[in-house]
Amino acid sequence: MGSIVSIDNVVKEYHLGKVIVPALRGVSLEVHEGEFISIAGPSGSGKTTLLNLIGCVDTATSGKVEVAGRDTATLTERQRTSLRLDTIGFIFQSFNLVAVLSVFQNVEFPLLLQGRLKAADRKAQVMSLLDQVGLSSHAKHRPSELSGGQRQRVAVARALVTEPKLVLADEPTANLDSATGQNIIDLMKALNQRRGTTFIFSTHDAKVMSHANAIWQLADGKILGKSGPVAGAPIPAEARP
Amino acid sequence: MIGHWVVLVQIAFRNLFSSFINLVIGVIIAVGTMLVVVGGAMLDSLDTAMSRSITGSLAGHIQVYSAASKDELAIYGGMTDDPSLAAVDDFPKVKRLLLGVPHVKTVVPMGINGALLMSGNTVDLTLAKLRGAVKARDAATASGAPAADLAEQVDSQKAHIRQIVKVLVEDAAKASVLADSHAVDDEAKQALATVSTEPFWEGFDRDPYSALELLENKIAPLVSDADMLYVRYVGTDLDAYQRAFDRMQVVDGQPVPAGRRGFLFPKFQYEEQLKLKTARRLDRIKEGLTESGKTIAGDSELQRFVRENQAQTREIVLQLDGLKTRTALARLNAALHSNETDLPTLLTRLFTTDDQNFMDRYRIFYEQLAPLLELYRVRIGDMLTVKAFTRSGYVQSVNVKVYGTFEFKGLEKSPLSGVTGLMDLMSFRDLYGYLSADKRDELRVLQAASGAKAVARENAEAELFGGGGPVVAEAKEGSIDEKAQLSGLKKAKKSEDLVARIYTPGEIEDGVVLNAAVVLDDPKALPQAIKAISELSAKEHLGLKVESWQQASGLLGEFVLAAKGILYFAVTIIFVVAVVVINNAMMMATLQRTQTLGTMRAIGAQRSFIVSMVLLETLVLGLLFGSAGAAAGAAVMAKLHATGIGAWSDAVYFFFSGPRIYPSLGAGNVVAAFLIILVVSVVSTLYPALIAMRVSPVTAMQAEE
Ligand SMILES: Nc1ncnc2c1ncn2[C@@H]1O[C@H](COP(=O)(O)OP(=O)(O)OP(=O)(O)O)[C@@H](O)[C@H]1O
Ligand SMILES: [Mg+2]
Repeated sequence: MGSIVSIDNVVKEYHLGKVIVPALRGVSLEVHEGEFISIAGPSGSGKTTLLNLIGCVDTATSGKVEVAGRDTATLTERQRTSLRLDTIGFIFQSFNLVAVLSVFQNVEFPLLLQGRLKAADRKAQVMSLLDQVGLSSHAKHRPSELSGGQRQRVAVARALVTEPKLVLADEPTANLDSATGQNIIDLMKALNQRRGTTFIFSTHDAKVMSHANAIWQLADGKILGKSGPVAGAPIPAEARP
Repeated sequence: MIGHWVVLVQIAFRNLFSSFINLVIGVIIAVGTMLVVVGGAMLDSLDTAMSRSITGSLAGHIQVYSAASKDELAIYGGMTDDPSLAAVDDFPKVKRLLLGVPHVKTVVPMGINGALLMSGNTVDLTLAKLRGAVKARDAATASGAPAADLAEQVDSQKAHIRQIVKVLVEDAAKASVLADSHAVDDEAKQALATVSTEPFWEGFDRDPYSALELLENKIAPLVSDADMLYVRYVGTDLDAYQRAFDRMQVVDGQPVPAGRRGFLFPKFQYEEQLKLKTARRLDRIKEGLTESGKTIAGDSELQRFVRENQAQTREIVLQLDGLKTRTALARLNAALHSNETDLPTLLTRLFTTDDQNFMDRYRIFYEQLAPLLELYRVRIGDMLTVKAFTRSGYVQSVNVKVYGTFEFKGLEKSPLSGVTGLMDLMSFRDLYGYLSADKRDELRVLQAASGAKAVARENAEAELFGGGGPVVAEAKEGSIDEKAQLSGLKKAKKSEDLVARIYTPGEIEDGVVLNAAVVLDDPKALPQAIKAISELSAKEHLGLKVESWQQASGLLGEFVLAAKGILYFAVTIIFVVAVVVINNAMMMATLQRTQTLGTMRAIGAQRSFIVSMVLLETLVLGLLFGSAGAAAGAAVMAKLHATGIGAWSDAVYFFFSGPRIYPSLGAGNVVAAFLIILVVSVVSTLYPALIAMRVSPVTAMQAEE
């Protein structure tokens, strides 16, 4: 299996006035296609920062970030946006659905941005995704009419509707109760297995983590190590909430 | 790609109704658009109507006058006196050259001036009639012809004078009760006392002429309705004028025959100032009732007219001689089913009107009483003595025949244009103080007689009428009595043959002209024609000032301009407010949805998408509410176009150029409205769109606050 994400000695610093806040301090890792990876670590350890770099919404201070074989530092803003649109799906902690659009339209949105499919094909695609996340009956609803879990399912459908190679999810279960969170992870896992889509998600939750093929441990902007794909594996002390 | 726009529009629409402030913005835009559409269409309609009235009545499309003039030309008069203009040099040449300019159809020479019309007072006129009747009777008696009819005429006129005297005695009594003053001096009192006695009238026929003299010298001056009426007039080539200006229409009488001297009264002034006041007030009441939908009970002005008619019967009483007084009493008693012997009382009863009986009384007045009266102080066909101060301050007078009255279609009720009469150009020149061909001949005779050398035009007038100039000085050296000759000539000039004379077009054009109206075959060619004429004037050294009708018509032309200025100012204010409000609202909206914007960017929306989205949102808002406003405006205009708007006052009548205006909506007004909306939407959203575009996709990752 080829590598979809390749990160080499990446440093990310934030500048707060004159203070330099180091968020990542020399991170290297490799993610292969079809993997179901969890990034774990305490608050402030750099999980979101890492996902931002992988997701091409931000650029590294130094080091190399390669996504789908392309060095993101060499891309223009427009090209990075296109890369996001075509290759990466996003699932957010707070769902981030467009409030004024219906469930169907939210899922359809990336397809419209791509502008490749005709209306009928779009509809088929969207309905198929909604069916997979179990929300085909809610297509006409507005996000405000759904529960948190349902909203996150819509977000999952939106992330997958363009059939991206990679889906990034930053704490997708943090705003959900544990049963619902479990549900979402199960859904993601199922899609990963059915479609071979690569998933990288961050979480604090040991139970959520346990579904992953592998867990990267982050602490203080550094990778502590990669633990194996064993359900119920002991969680490193640093990763405990 | 289309789906892309569909979702943009959809997002725009949905955002539209997600916020209350959008509704406020929408209402502002709708009101602004409606104002642009309705106001613009109304003003355009007024403009069209007024330009038709103005260009077609006096101004023509372009006015030219001497660049050496001290003042600006104001065809319909300005705030103050008529402007002082220098004469156009060599009008025939100017005309010939201007006719060569493309689109120039006609060039009509003009001169504007003011003059005084003299008419005797009622007593004077009646005494003149009595004197005439006495003369006729005496002549008939002397020649042995039957004089019974003529004697009856004399008696009737005598009765008329006695009636007048009776009114004057009553007036004097009232005056002394009221003020116990010198309103009537002792001599006059005495004279009044004398002429109100029976013996005076019994003795009248023994010595009618000395009795008449007493009446003329002592009694006539007591009646103060003697008149000097100021008229403003345009002296012009009346034939050319009538052919070129289609808005002028003769109302009473006839146009001045080709080549004749003559005067046409403006109908407005003829009615307002020359008509019997009682009759005029009846007309005004009727107009109020039938045209403006007023009622006597509900309108204080109409009530005042009724009161004045009740109180002021004197004007009528004074006009009626003995025979007519009896006839009037008989007719009115029959019509009013009364048995009254005192005419003033009966008249007061006639004029005691309310909403129920007014139309009936109006009819009685015009059918029964009016035929006995002179309704106008100047009748069509009368010869008028017109006096004016010439430019050097001498009084000159000319006799002209009143051929009729006229009005300008659309400006009938305008007090501005309604007091401008029309006169032939020769009489104008006489009154204005420049030499006409007649005067030049006159001067030549004078010069020949006195042996004077050629007199320059500028001095000629002073020499001709001044009495103190070199001509007279030189004349004294000669053996002939110049003064006698001069006055003899003047008398000859005023005589009937001058009035009857027919002037050739050449004579009419060859003389002083102050300004000329240029009529174009295509009004749209106005700017280029002005340019062409200016260039021509410079090239040929014509010394002309060239103005559009708007500039030349003074106040009248500026009204529409001013109204437009006010409208555009109001519209600008509204839309500046709209821009500020929209800008603020969109800023707020943008800041409130940074997470949505960031999410869209993260998912893969380009910056251009975000910009289009924000712009489209205000555009949709603008077009939606703008369309609503435009539709409402169009509906209003359609209604107004169908029903028209009646002029509710004389001032409005003038703006409407008629009793009713049927305004129409031009495509230009709607297009203008939408262009404004477009600009407002884009301008007000540029900054918010920039801010929205800069929202980073990282924002999407940050947990919701
Ligand atoms: N925009 C920013 N500006 C400045 N410092 C930042 C910014 N974003 C993150 N940081 C800092 O970088 C470090 C890593 O933050 P990051 O959000 O990646 O941690 P995290 O592991 O996602 O934490 P959490 O579990 O709380 O989400 C932290 O010290 C944080 O304060
Ligand atoms: Mg985080």
